[in-house]
Amino acid sequence: MLLDVLQGAEPGGFILIQDTVKCTGRGILKCFINAALKRGEDVHVLGFEASETEVCAGLDRSCVQKLHFHKGFPDPLGWMCRSSFTVDQLTSQHITKLIKDSQHAKAPVLVIDSLSLVLRHHDPVVISQRLQVLRKGGDIKTIISLLHSDLHLHGVVGIVSQLASTVISVAPANNEHHAVATTTRRSKSGKVMQEEEYFNVSEDMTLSVQAKLRQHGHVQKEQKVAEADPASNLTFNLRLSEEERKAKEKLALPFVFSKEKKSALLRPTPGSGRIMYEPDANDDFDEEDPDDDLDV
Amino acid sequence: MAAPVRCMAGSSSRSNTTSFQKKTRSKLVSIPGTRPSVRSSSRSNTTSFQKKTRSKLVSIPGTRPSVQNGQLLLSSGVSSLDYVIGGGLAVGTLLLVEEDRYDSYSRMLLKYFLAEGVVCGHELFLASARDHPDEIMQELPSPIMDEVASLKISEGQPQPSDPENPDTMKIAWRYQNQPRVQTALASSLRFGHYYDVSKTMEPELRQTAKCHSFYQLQETPVTTGSSPLPSPYHALLKSIQTVIRKEGFDGSTPQSKTRNVLRLGLHSLGSALWGDDVCCKDNPAHCHALSTFLYALRGLLRTSLSVAMVTVPSHLIQNRAVMGRIIRLSDTAIALESFRGSEKETNPLYKDYHGLLHVRQLPHLNCLSCEGPDTKDLAFKLKRKQFTIERLHLPPDLSETVSRVSKTELAAGCGTTATGNKHLDF
Repeated sequence: MLLDVLQGAEPGGFILIQDTVKCTGRGILKCFINAALKRGEDVHVLGFEASETEVCAGLDRSCVQKLHFHKGFPDPLGWMCRSSFTVDQLTSQHITKLIKDSQHAKAPVLVIDSLSLVLRHHDPVVISQRLQVLRKGGDIKTIISLLHSDLHLHGVVGIVSQLASTVISVAPANNEHHAVATTTRRSKSGKVMQEEEYFNVSEDMTLSVQAKLRQHGHVQKEQKVAEADPASNLTFNLRLSEEERKAKEKLALPFVFSKEKKSALLRPTPGSGRIMYEPDANDDFDEEDPDDDLDV
Repeated sequence: MAAPVRCMAGSSSRSNTTSFQKKTRSKLVSIPGTRPSVRSSSRSNTTSFQKKTRSKLVSIPGTRPSVQNGQLLLSSGVSSLDYVIGGGLAVGTLLLVEEDRYDSYSRMLLKYFLAEGVVCGHELFLASARDHPDEIMQELPSPIMDEVASLKISEGQPQPSDPENPDTMKIAWRYQNQPRVQTALASSLRFGHYYDVSKTMEPELRQTAKCHSFYQLQETPVTTGSSPLPSPYHALLKSIQTVIRKEGFDGSTPQSKTRNVLRLGLHSLGSALWGDDVCCKDNPAHCHALSTFLYALRGLLRTSLSVAMVTVPSHLIQNRAVMGRIIRLSDTAIALESFRGSEKETNPLYKDYHGLLHVRQLPHLNCLSCEGPDTKDLAFKLKRKQFTIERLHLPPDLSETVSRVSKTELAAGCGTTATGNKHLDF
């Protein structure tokens, strides 16, 4: 599913890559940039955490001119007026102006590297509203953003993830070459798909999804279920062999009526009479069941 | 709280002549969602006195009086949910839905609620901050009009025991005719409609309903002045108030033709997009904003012919006290817990269901007690044609007379030979 998200990003989407200090998500972010560039889309990068050379390293040389890097890295808060873009400028008006200035044929992709710095210097409520305005504005095809989830309160991560259409959270795997990506994709109709995959980012920023953890997990879980069967480790026998089952079926149980037995009982025998009796007012009818105490 | 509603519903029909009532009766028969047609046909040859009392309460399409307390009820669009919350949503009350983690099933419930409003001809008000209200309106499920009867029959009949199936139990004759225990919750009287989730409602049908919408992102911030409410909530409340006043739902200006009900759907209230920080901070700056809004909204609902469904992302709200207040301020509160993304998804115990439904609060209307389901252990599943809520586990039957049920029935059957035949095996 990770590859699906990478290939066809739906318009109006917001892809959030969550990483922690244990495993970086920058590799996946660069794969997304590379994939967008290869599709011939313009990419605007708001870089606060890495320099332009670092972001461009490994990207496809032929289409690097499609990448527009807005330098927020040297001075993200604008203290020394050395940056072309500061954290404060992450507003829909400013970004729309930036995009309109560069005049694209198609709606470009906006990459925020990373949202953590922005969220630490702004009210998360305001930021989430601005992101939503940007998303719904129609000037941007997709917003892709990196979030270091271990830097924020649980609630802040929650509201940003709620906004996102796709959340990819990366975690280290036991295998040293790979990491695990959990992709949660929410379709427009409200359907949620979730998948765990091993991934690897190669030198030229292509993403290879190695093995699907999901099937692996299923097998393990099924084994666990089988182990948990309470009837497996008993000192007596609860299961029936084929012969035992046949013998059991032959046994006529008391209080059970088969079709044959029922019809045999219902068949009127010749010469039997019928009792016609109509109770009248003088009849002493006992309301109580005399056999009430017997459990029959 | 119900007094204004009942008076308003009653006053119109009382002042009118009998000719008007005949009109409403014929209307009642034709409108789906009021009463089963069998009832209405039998009603036609009763005395005029009874007709009058009937039409007094059921003068609004898509509503019916409650069996318990005579409140005017309307359907939430999901018949098993109606059953769980005591027959339906009483007019003038607020239903709180705590969203599941990905907001997929709570959104579905909101769509059912709105779709039911469209089918019954109610007026709608939809407020949203995340998606445009028109987008939600376009996704409404399509109503199933003709197949309703067959659907009902197939679901009500117990499956005949299959002799080839090795799992069928051989059972003593006295237990053979015990009624099968129904796990699905449903009331005997049909109320509300069924919807096909795979199809969207036809635009022609959708446009028959008058829909007011409120989209947070398009609203210009208003100066709240001395109001204790932050800007988006204030604007929303003003907007609801305007609709209720202008369309005459508060009863101050008489509505032009027939009385109607306003259904308010408020999506994801309290999320960050409403400018509320209850979701991200433990000690929010405006911790009373949402409760103040709900308090004011409740006041509006109580004095008007309207019903509200509010969804709240409760899993994000950090402060339990805030959530508790929100629940207390709503009349009915339910919570959806989806299995998606949790370890319960693969648990064999839950394999037939999509999530759990917790009933947080039931309405106490004009009385101390409330009508609720017999068990709180409920699960839901979303099928293509139906959203059903079922009992997850059946409660143990602890009464002493459990095993004697069939015997008393048998005894009764023997006494009156004509009726008791089905209980006799030989």
